[in-house]
Amino acid sequence: MDMVGDKDKFELENRNEEDPMNFAAPSPSPSVDWRFGGLVPTGNPMAVSKGSTSMVVESFGPTLWDQSQTANPQNLGGLFSDINNVQNSASTLDTLGIRKGTPAAVASLPSTDHKTFDMGWNPTSSMLNLKGGGGIFLPGNGMLPQSLSQFPADSAFIERAARFSCFNVNGGNFSDMVNPLESMGGTNYFRGGGMMQEVFGGNGQSHSQKNEVMNVDEAFKDVSMSVGEHEHEHEHGATGGGGSPLKNVRSHDEAKQGIGVGDSGPGNDSDEAEFSTAGGQDEPSGLEGTTGGERFAGGLESKKRKRSEQDTELDLAKVGPQQPGESAKDDTEIQQNGDQKPTSTTNKSSVKHGKQGSQASDPPKEEYIHVRARRGQATNSHSLAERVRREKISERMKFLQDLVPGCSKVTGKAVMLDEIINYVQSLQRQVEFLSMKLATVNPRLDFNVEGLLAKDILQSRVGPSTLGFSPDMPMAYPPLHSSQQGLIRASLSGLGSSSDLHRRTVNSQLTPMTGGFREPTRLPNVWEDELHNVVQMSYGTSATTNSQEVDGSLPPGHMKVELR
Amino acid sequence: MNSKRFSPTSSTIKSRFTRRFLRALLKINRQRTRTPSSPMEICQRYLKVKLAADVSMASAVGSRRAWSRAMLAKIRHGVRTGSMCSLTMMRKRKIYHRKKSTKEVGIVGNAKVLRKLVPGGEAMDTCSLLDETFHYIKCLSTQVKVMTRIADQICST
Repeated sequence: MDMVGDKDKFELENRNEEDPMNFAAPSPSPSVDWRFGGLVPTGNPMAVSKGSTSMVVESFGPTLWDQSQTANPQNLGGLFSDINNVQNSASTLDTLGIRKGTPAAVASLPSTDHKTFDMGWNPTSSMLNLKGGGGIFLPGNGMLPQSLSQFPADSAFIERAARFSCFNVNGGNFSDMVNPLESMGGTNYFRGGGMMQEVFGGNGQSHSQKNEVMNVDEAFKDVSMSVGEHEHEHEHGATGGGGSPLKNVRSHDEAKQGIGVGDSGPGNDSDEAEFSTAGGQDEPSGLEGTTGGERFAGGLESKKRKRSEQDTELDLAKVGPQQPGESAKDDTEIQQNGDQKPTSTTNKSSVKHGKQGSQASDPPKEEYIHVRARRGQATNSHSLAERVRREKISERMKFLQDLVPGCSKVTGKAVMLDEIINYVQSLQRQVEFLSMKLATVNPRLDFNVEGLLAKDILQSRVGPSTLGFSPDMPMAYPPLHSSQQGLIRASLSGLGSSSDLHRRTVNSQLTPMTGGFREPTRLPNVWEDELHNVVQMSYGTSATTNSQEVDGSLPPGHMKVELR
Repeated sequence: MNSKRFSPTSSTIKSRFTRRFLRALLKINRQRTRTPSSPMEICQRYLKVKLAADVSMASAVGSRRAWSRAMLAKIRHGVRTGSMCSLTMMRKRKIYHRKKSTKEVGIVGNAKVLRKLVPGGEAMDTCSLLDETFHYIKCLSTQVKVMTRIADQICST
């Protein structure tokens, strides 16, 4: 987000240079021309340098639009049209006497593609940071045209303008500028689409403004689509008026989607109807008064609720066709939401792609996990990520609960983790015990290895269905089952060091395994001989390890040794 | 529901593990020199069998899972440093296990213990740790089942 940082610097620069930058005093038109980033030569607003669009936008920020509105629109219209067309601006800039920094900046700009606004932005802002060169940009004066109908519906320009949405974090910063500007009937242009919409709404101007609003909105939405979760979280983190409008834009997007999907609330329809009309009459009233804001808020709330209910296609890509009718709402709603409480924005944080039915188009776009903040929950980026994390963890704990035997009644993560740990430990000890067993009873392997191999592989393949036991085993040794079980249980009850769960698990494991103990008498005998040696050796060499190893895992033979 | 589909793969994991483990067992058995085995020999053989079980299980799982990768890496490192070293390391590990089991405090404390248990668990966040634990438990239970049956077969014959 170096752009954001640059914008910050740029903004500071602008503020600092407000006074020296204020060329508006002498004469409006030259000042306006000058303010056009010096891209427009004096008296020649049409000759605009291309590639300086970023600078132009910057210059248009809070500065340009308020006064000389009669002159500006035309200039701006021509300006923007030229901006997108003209290539070389260095000469024009020089003629305007642009500060030293800018020519280099502007010269660098043509090299950058219009679309690669970001790249052009950095050198520009870096140049702007040069005090001398920053003269173009005047945030102090909120000069905004009454009607930006002259704005070309240029997708490139709109994209760039919409990229300002990345700077919504600075909305709070801009809010300071907004206040003085509002008095002039204009607001901060720098807030990208949202700001422009505010501007338009603030002016309460003609319907033609909506075109630009819509276009900006489109680009805005495009940008918001391309932006990941952190962007949304940026919005949520920003609590100022600057942050909320953009937040609301996004939420409005969703609301609009909901509406486009088929939401048919009365409030929605009324809002739609309002906006679909020229709306000029409604906008000013709505914009100026809080009552309108409340109405919109209510409509927004209802939209949001319905949105959450329907919750179908949330892909922002699908917003495109729905924009004309909906984008008009944005400007007024954005205005209002700036005044409204933040609770209205807590209902939605971003488009929720996960767990939605139709996600055919989502995966290719989705690089981040989109989360929706629930009602009444904080929309802080950290809390959202935390919530996602917690949900993941609890989901996995549920799976583990199914896997570990005897954990269905357990509630709570800590106890559950305890059980899991014990289970894993018991499994590991069982593996060690079985490997010890296999190490000691190996001699028999030499004889019937192939038979064993074939049998075991076959049995292991059959295993999943028969729990790994051949069918004849339980039938042949039913009496041994009970005796063996009793023996084992008795031995295990003597285990003082094992945890209860371990004992239980071993019991549960051994109980089905008793079917496997075909030769119960032989086993302890084998074990006793070997284990005597082993245990004595272990006691002789190392103090407790072997006893610990075999502690919970060995059956009666070891127990007998211990009890002696 | 569960994207981690173990049921179709566990059988193949099981069969792979069985084959490898049996082969390793055969190799170990062939190394037996004389019938009366000293306890030390038995201990060493036990360690080899245990190692064979771990290696065969980890290689049966393959590199798909972090715990299997970590286990294989640890084993290779252990092989390099010598087999006797693994014995002492194992003893220490057991002791540490005993000590740490009393320090479990909460979720975080339990997660720490779990990290020690699951191979490669130290370098994971809790979420993936639970994933790995899930898979690890499944494989461990498979291992136990197979080894039980092998042991039964051996004991019986």
